[in-house]
Amino acid sequence: MSEPAKSTRIPIVERVLEANDQLAEGVRAELTRRGIFAVDIIGAPGSGKTALLETTLRAVKGRRRPAVLVGDLATRRDGDRLAKWCDQVVQISTGQGCHLEAGQVRDALKEIDLSNVDLLFIENVGNMICPVGFDLGQTAKVGVFAVTDGEDKAAKHPYLVQEADVILLNKIDLLPYVPFDRAVFEADVRLLNTSVPILDVSSTTGAGLDPWLDWLDRGLAGERASNPMA
Amino acid sequence: MHEFSIAEALAARVLRHAPERGRVSEVEIRVGALRGLEPEAMKMSWEAVTFDTPLAGSVLLMDVRPWTLTCPACARVWESPVPFAECTCGETAPRPTAGDELDLISMTVDEDDDGDAVAEVPAAEPVEPVEPVQPKEAAR
Repeated sequence: MSEPAKSTRIPIVERVLEANDQLAEGVRAELTRRGIFAVDIIGAPGSGKTALLETTLRAVKGRRRPAVLVGDLATRRDGDRLAKWCDQVVQISTGQGCHLEAGQVRDALKEIDLSNVDLLFIENVGNMICPVGFDLGQTAKVGVFAVTDGEDKAAKHPYLVQEADVILLNKIDLLPYVPFDRAVFEADVRLLNTSVPILDVSSTTGAGLDPWLDWLDRGLAGERASNPMA
Repeated sequence: MHEFSIAEALAARVLRHAPERGRVSEVEIRVGALRGLEPEAMKMSWEAVTFDTPLAGSVLLMDVRPWTLTCPACARVWESPVPFAECTCGETAPRPTAGDELDLISMTVDEDDDGDAVAEVPAAEPVEPVEPVQPKEAAR
């Protein structure tokens, strides 16, 4: 191969995910305008995200106006489960995609009557790595960990821990039966994120649900306070 | 495997900036350690995504930024490829911090012809090496 006659380095400097980020900002602007508190729920497959949502939806029924977007590689099973507790559920099938992207959220929101929503739950694809770096236009990120997955999951997923606005330690009812060193888990979380609340919950027994519901209430109140027109 | 999605997004950005003449031979990105991008997976994804496109054969250069560890005991600050490491003073829990930048930094365009085509490439803004990126309408 011959040397090129000219080789020019062109400096650019822009975000690789600029297109996704712009779509996310559009989603965020719309949700903010309507005073909707939107959470992106991120956790491993089997960490209990859907069960947690079922329990949460049951608890806020009649008191809040939730909507749910749920991402999965395949099947509508999660969407069907959640539809028992919530009128507005949209299943997003990502096919090969290991995470949701802002364009999918924007399109799914077209199927929702946003004038009748105050809480938007976005259940991401089960994965603790890929979803973290893709802005969806959410207000807050929720990191879901399960005691059955072991205490080292936080240390192994620093991006999720650092980005999370709240960490839910799920399946806390199984703590007597599985080897999980909660002190190690918390110490690892604290090294990466000094301020994130860690809430112990059990979707099965409902233990620890109130602090989580309070956190959602405070988030919604904050969203409304930041936009008195909503 | 978020590397594939990121490679797709990157190819779209590069094509947006690539001049009409010449061939993109190198693409340079800067990646914060928080992103957890696997360089080998990223290069494989780049090859797959650019296959049979004008970017085929281009080399992806990754500047992966390290973690910064700060020792709470002796205040030593150093860079590390991993977030958890012991300090030389024996402290076992230095605090890890890292960025999550994921930036297209530059592309290199080769021209085989003599002529002015390269000079017609509009110059982009000068590189700010450290600061986070502001989106900008860049050269086409």
